[in-house]
Parts: sequence; C-alpha cells; structure tokens
Amino acid sequence: MAYRTHLMVCTGTACVSCGSFNIKKLLEEEIKKQGLDKEVLVVGTGCQGFCAKGPIVVVQPEDIFYQLLSPEDIPYLVEEHFLKGRPVKKMMYTPPGEKIQIPTVSEIGFFSKQRLIALRNKGLIDAEKIDDYIGRDGYNALIKVLTSMTSEDIIKEIKNSGLRGRGGAGFPTGLKWEICKNSKGNPKYIICNADEGDPGAYMDRSIVESDPHAVIEGMLIGAKAIGAQEGFVYIRSEYPLAIHRLEIAIEQAREYGLLGKDILDKGFDFDLQIKQGAGAFVCGEETSLIHSIEGISPEPSQRPPFPAESGLWGQPTNINNVQTWANVPRIILRGADWFAGIGTEKSKGTKVFSLVGKINNTGLVEVPMGITLREIIYDIGGGIPGGKKFKGVQIGGPSGGVVPASLIDLPVDYEKLTEVGSMMGSGGMVVVDEDTCMVDLAKYFLDFTSDESCGKCVSCREGSSAMLEILTRITEGKGKEGDIEFLEELGQAVKDASQCGLGQTLPNPVLSTIANFRDEYEAHIKDKKCPAHVCKALINFHIDPDKCTGCTVCAKNCPADAISGNRKEPHIIDQDKCIKCGICYTVCKFDSINVE
Amino acid sequence: MPKLNIKDLEEIRKKVRKATLLREGISNAKITVHMGTCGIAAGARAIMNAIIKVVEESGRDDIIVTTSGCAGFCSREPMATVELKGETPVKYGDLTEDKIKKIFSEHVLQGKIVEEYALAIGSEREP
Amino acid sequence: MGNKKVGSVLVVGAGIAGIQSSLDLANSGFKVYLLEQTPAIGGTMAQLDKTFPTNDCAMCILSPKLVDCGRHPNIEIITNAELGKVVGKAGNFKVEVKKKPRYVDEDKCTGCAACTQNCPVSIALYPVEKIYIKLKDEDLKIVKPILEKYRDQKGNLLPILQQINKEFRYLPEDILRYVSDELDIHLADIYNIVTFYNAFNLEPRGKHIITACIGTACHVQGAPGLIAALEVELGIKVGQTTKDMNFTLETARCFGCCGLAPVITVDEDVHGKLKRADIPGIVRHYKLMEEKQDA
Repeated sequence: MAYRTHLMVCTGTACVSCGSFNIKKLLEEEIKKQGLDKEVLVVGTGCQGFCAKGPIVVVQPEDIFYQLLSPEDIPYLVEEHFLKGRPVKKMMYTPPGEKIQIPTVSEIGFFSKQRLIALRNKGLIDAEKIDDYIGRDGYNALIKVLTSMTSEDIIKEIKNSGLRGRGGAGFPTGLKWEICKNSKGNPKYIICNADEGDPGAYMDRSIVESDPHAVIEGMLIGAKAIGAQEGFVYIRSEYPLAIHRLEIAIEQAREYGLLGKDILDKGFDFDLQIKQGAGAFVCGEETSLIHSIEGISPEPSQRPPFPAESGLWGQPTNINNVQTWANVPRIILRGADWFAGIGTEKSKGTKVFSLVGKINNTGLVEVPMGITLREIIYDIGGGIPGGKKFKGVQIGGPSGGVVPASLIDLPVDYEKLTEVGSMMGSGGMVVVDEDTCMVDLAKYFLDFTSDESCGKCVSCREGSSAMLEILTRITEGKGKEGDIEFLEELGQAVKDASQCGLGQTLPNPVLSTIANFRDEYEAHIKDKKCPAHVCKALINFHIDPDKCTGCTVCAKNCPADAISGNRKEPHIIDQDKCIKCGICYTVCKFDSINVE
Repeated sequence: MPKLNIKDLEEIRKKVRKATLLREGISNAKITVHMGTCGIAAGARAIMNAIIKVVEESGRDDIIVTTSGCAGFCSREPMATVELKGETPVKYGDLTEDKIKKIFSEHVLQGKIVEEYALAIGSEREP
Repeated sequence: MGNKKVGSVLVVGAGIAGIQSSLDLANSGFKVYLLEQTPAIGGTMAQLDKTFPTNDCAMCILSPKLVDCGRHPNIEIITNAELGKVVGKAGNFKVEVKKKPRYVDEDKCTGCAACTQNCPVSIALYPVEKIYIKLKDEDLKIVKPILEKYRDQKGNLLPILQQINKEFRYLPEDILRYVSDELDIHLADIYNIVTFYNAFNLEPRGKHIITACIGTACHVQGAPGLIAALEVELGIKVGQTTKDMNFTLETARCFGCCGLAPVITVDEDVHGKLKRADIPGIVRHYKLMEEKQDA
C-alpha cells in the first residue's frame, strides 16, 4: 500500500539542534496513535536550508510548510491536518512585517527564488537511504559514463560546462582533471575537500548531510575520468552528523557494489575512505590537506609541483570541493550546454551561499551566478531584522572582504566579487547592519587568521599578529595617526610574501573595510568613538534617570555589582566597576540605559 | 544485498520513483477525500484506501491523493473532489468502492465527468 | 713553507661555540675554515627552545649568527666533513679533511627543499630513543586496541591521536610517550601534530565542556558578550577548567548552526539564539545537575 502523504522532517544539524529528532519521533508516535501509520510516512531529510525557522516539516504532496514546531504542537497538528485534513495556519510561515501566513513552500520567497543543482535533493530524500537517491535519478550519470563515455568525453563535457571550483579560488574543474589525468604515475588519488573551516559557512556540511550520494557519484565520475582507484573524503571532525551520514552512504554504496571492484560489471574499480580533520583551518589548503592525510605536520608546501602532478604520497592527486563534486552528476546527465546556460559569461551554474548574520531568513540558498546582492538579501533573505540599516555583506569568510551597501546591485560571480576586493570563497555571506563595527569585524577575522596561521611563512605569522595588534589598539581607543596607512602597507606586504592562500588573502577583510569604511576607522582613531557602539573601551553605559523606574532588574542581573539604587528610585552605574557586558542594556524593559 | 548490475539499478529506480514522486508535487490529477469527523464516520477512510488502491493498480504516478476537512455537505458523505490539471474541480458524493472505480476509470483516466454521481462542478470561493 | 706563519684558522665543530669563535676570528681579519660533521651548521642549540639562565629564545640568538657566518667573506664553511690527520705545529698546521659526498651539485643547489619533500624514502638521522614506558593496565586496555587497529595503515598518527583524545578526553603525556615507543615516531613529531590542531587537548578537562561558538555569524550576533557572561558565571577564563573539575570553557570556530546564532553547546546540547541574560540560567541548570548527582 502506498502512502498518501509524506512528512519531510528536516534533520540537518541546525534543526537537530532545535530538537527535530524529537519532533520526528513524536510525529511517528502520534500518527501511529491516530491509526494513520499506513497512510502517512515520516521521512527524515537533510538540511532544507531555512535554518532560522527550525524545526521544519514539509507536507507532501500538498507542499505545506510548517515551521518552529515544538513538541506540544505535534498532537494538534496530527489530528487537525493528517486526520481531519485541515492545515494548521498558526504553524505556517509569516513573512517579516506581514500578518498573513503563507501555506506552501513554492510561494515562500526564500524558496521560490532559488535554483537548485547541488542541493536538488534537499528535503526530498532520506539521506540515509540509497534507494531514495536512486529514485531521483541517482547513479544514472554513473551508468552513462560507464557505458557510453571515455575519460576524454567526460573531461570535455566538464570543460564545456564551465564548472569552476566551488571551494573559492574558482579554478576550472575540467582543466584540473585533465592535468591530473595526463600526469604520469600510478596509483592516482582523488580527494573531496569537506574541511569547511570558514566561520559562518556550512554549505558543504549541508550537502553531505542531505545528499551524500551525490558527492560519492561525483567522485566516481571524477575517478573514472582521471583514472583513480582510491579516493578520500577529508571532513571536519566538528561535523559528526555529516560524518555519520557519509559513513552510512559509503556502506550502502559498497553493498550495492557501487563502490569496490568491478562496479556495475563494467570493470571499473574505485573505493572511498573518510579521513577526519582535527580542527586546523589551514588544512583546507590542498597541499596542507594532503599532508594532514599523510599524518605529517600539515604545513602547506610550495606549488609547483601541483597536487595534480605530485600530491598524496607523491602521486598525482585531484582535489575538489564538496559542492564541485555534487554538481558533476547533474552536468553529465543533463549536458554541458544546460549547465553553461545558467550563470554569467565566466561563472557558470549556481552557487550555494550560507546567508547568516543580521538577516531575517538565515539559511542556505542556492542561486544562479550573476544574481544581484539585492535579490539575495531582500527577496530571499527577507531583509534586515528590526528595521535596522543595511551596512554591507561580508563574503568569503576570513579570505574575503566586505561589499558595502552602495554596491547592493552588484551581480555575484567570481570576477565581480574579486573586482570589489572581496572573493567568492566557500560562500559564507554574513550580513551586517548599523550595529556592527567594521573595525571590530576586521579584528575578528585577523584574530582568527593569526590564530590559524601555521607559522611557516614569516610574513603571514608575524604580519597577521602585527596587524591584529594595531587593530586591537584602535578598538581600545589607542589608535595613532598613520595606523590606517601602515595597515594598508603591511596588508599588501603579507599578500605579496606569503606562500599559500591563507596568507595571501588574510589581509582582505582589513583592506576592504578600510577601503569602504575608512570613516569608521577614523572615528575610532581621531574621535575615540565607536559609531556602532561595539568596542567596549570606547563606550559607556548610563542610566537615564527620567526613564528609570527603579524596578531593580538591572541591579539583580549585573554580574559585577556595579549598579546600585533604591527600589522605585533611579539607579546608577558605577563606571569603575562596570565591565561593559551590556546585560543591563538587554534586560531593561523601559529603554532607560543609554550607550555612548 | 548482492552486488547490482545496471538492470537492478534501473529496477530500484522505477520502484522508488513511484513511491517518492508525490514529494515533488508534480501531478496531472488530484483527488481530495473529505475527511471531517462526519466523513470519517460515513466511511471516508475506506474510500480513501480504495482510491489509493486503484491509483496504484493503474500504475500512474502523476496522480496525488490528499485529504481535506469537512466539505460542509455532511449528509452526502463520503465525498471526494477530483481535479484534473487545468480543469474545474468536480465533487462526488455518497461514494462507495464501486463508484470510485467508475469515477477513476472514466473521469480521472479519460477525462469524462461521471455526471450521475457528481454533486457539483466547480468550487465555492472566498468572496 | 718551513716555519712561516699562515693567517688562517681552522675551527672544528660548527655549534654555537664554533660559530661565535669563527665570527670573532673572521672579524679580526683571519681567514677561517669552519669544519662541521653534520650536513648543516648550528649544532644542538638549534634544537633547543630556550637557553639558561635568561630563558632567551635559542633560535633568536642563533639564527642571526648563522646568517652572518654564512655570508662572511672570511669564513669558508666545510660541512659534512671530518677531520683526518693534523701535522705541523702552532702557526703552521697541515690538515687532512675527509669530505663526505653529498651527491648534489653544491654550486647549483639553492636549498629549496623540494627534493627532500618529494623523496619517497626517509631515513631517520637520529633513531627514536625508546623509553619503554609502562602504562597502567586500565590505560593499556584502551590504548592497545587503538594502536592495533591502525598500526599498518598509512598516515595513521592522526586517527590514533583522535581516538585517544576521544577516550581520555585529553592526551596524557605518558600515553603519548607510549605511542612514540610503539610507532617509532619521535615524541617531538607527535607534539608537532598535537599542538597544530585545535581538536587536541594536553590538559585534563572538566566533566562538562561548555563551548561558545565564535564563528562570524555568532560574533556579529553577540558571541563576545556571551563569553564574558560565561566567564563571570563560571569564574574562569576561556581555555580553563573550574577547580571542582566540573566545567571547562572553550571556544570553537563555527558549529555550522549559523541560523541559531549566537550558539553555545554544553556537551552535546545546543543552546541557540541566546542573549547574555540567558547564560546564568543555563549554567545554573548544569550546576544543579552536578549537585544532585553529588547528593
């Protein structure tokens, strides 16, 4: 008996953190209780992207979207919708600033503007069932390459599609494969780089969690094209759920003989291993990643020789990012022309961004290259919360830069972003509003990169800490005339003199914020003021005696006992004791705390 | 599970495809069974199961079966609405399993409305 | 030649003492031949971290001298060579030096190190000194199977360390020494790996690990304030453990739950969309849990 309704429960990491495993269990129990377990199927899917609204359940085929579910909602939901057939309005999505709920997924702006290739199976399959993937054209591309394509054909197809590395640098994938294929040496290896270290980016994790077989199939095709028989997936140990799903997927693929010897009786051998990282940002760099797999100190090494010539254990090795691999089966199946028809002149296809920060609809979005930032931030992202002013968007993590609000109509592709001093990077988009201090943001990234610098090149090791020192001084109100110019000079030197991508790009956040928000730096240095009220040394908290009702809430919550005053009388903050934690500001119900 | 060859893989695909197609919301026909309390009391559940069964037997994978609440015409329950793509929905009342078979083969598969069972053509709308 | 004095000096051994003497002599106008047995000058000091009694950084003292020595027009460095026969008397010696072959054209080699990185064979210059450490039986029970599982794999050090770190929640020194013994890997090399990655801990950690995410999304949504509040509430700084060994406060670079920012995790539990004022309640919850268990 077929099921009439499928409930797609999002079990990506963000929703799991909000308790979606529990929601899934409760749904199953409640459905059984109502005697519907023969009609309604509960499916756990990978991340559906709309992480701000988790836990999420999508009801198919009606396409109804339920959000922010709590365990108490479940009995009512099951009875009303699945037993009595009345969709429950109050659990549906309401766009920010509006009052009427939107029932179906296809009408929600967040979903309808997206174009899915790498994430095409999100929310539609159970990531832990290989059959679900096969049902959605899975491993069809593999059949195609094994029965009717030579490795030259595959490489030509990928080249024609214009696919470029989705890890950030944007190197043409087909060309990379070709170099590796033509390198002498046997065995050859292929590696999937899932060491997604950029803070604020999690699209690779999401793909592995929601569609691990797409990555495996992509790697199988790549292996066939290059002539490799062994592959590795290097994945962050911080992603336990993704590792778990990938392990299951590899196990199932082995059982079906889709990994191993003589795959599909076509005389092609390939097997895959998982290698866990251990938390070092530099391991995302390909030579460093190779050293990490080899078990030696993971410092990057000089290129050339490129890994395509001499990589893992000195053998020709091809490394691609998760997203790049996930695109491959679709390109093979639907043809290079189809893929090349999407996007801009030099950047083809789609790109997954993680849209986070000061934005209403945080989540994962896959959009065609060339879409404008305005469409991403307002149409998909739903704008800035609380009516605050949009200030800019930081793209590309610690290697990228800030695109200011004035460039909101910029089409997003590899070249355009590089032109404005940012970069595609892995695709983290952090939206910042007027409450974000750009100096502090630059300092944040420098703090990250100086910590993660492996220390091999002096320019990167010492340059990053010198820049961090200056930025720290500026945020503490001790900035000097000439600091900005010195930062610019130092940044350029670090860029020029470092060996790997980490050093070459780490000054970007500083340089791009100086270029676009110089006035904020000057306010810190000359006026000793932080316009966004973020830098602790430059702000003070005061209680407005006219507004304070003496409710004592602030005094009770102050961790430093810096607030005193009698009940029902205006309170006062002892500036010497105040640690500027801002708790009083958050807890005051009468808006009586001022920040200056 | 033994090792697969290409034929096995295609078979799995076909089987799973049928079961999961409804997740994609692509359909040429939609049959809605009205399952309010009154409908369930009048046997709507059996009707729904019968519909699912005939759909399955037909082998068509572009027909979706869903439920909705009480249609308001409680005396004529069990009821169902058949909606072909691009056409006005038709409501059928006093359904039995035999009627379902006829409605399915004539209306859903061939596009001919079974007028003898039809209650109404078109749906009520919000003003 | 007879008794004619020659204005040149041979210094044997290019450790810090040999280097300094060579520099002094060369600066006084003598031609210096600096002889060294190993392939490079620098000696033992290059391997030290700090020097007695001032705790100065060893390399910071040594490396400028290495450069000076290499560049000095009066110094000729002869490495990879041994002293043979010495004849003559003060003022006029005749010395036989046995230079071992390098199999590399010394005039052309720039020392780029690409060849060492690509050489498939590695020969330890100094064999691993085994200390044959004895572990406690209960520790051995855990460590042995891990070692056996990975022993024959290529690139096995990382997974072994990860497993040990998982089992013990940190990497105890005696166990690292045991691993060094068993795998024939220098302890220094193991520490090189251990201190490189964030995932390893060399100090014992508390029962509950509180981790604050400091990814970009969490940072702009107020993670620094959460950390300040956590530090106040627990009375420790980031990276420290409370005295009762109940809590360790750590930070992480992004859990990938940016939709819930700012986020902290306590062990496996994720707390998202937090405000500073939420922190005391969360900490209290786990403190109470501990007290209940004690009682």
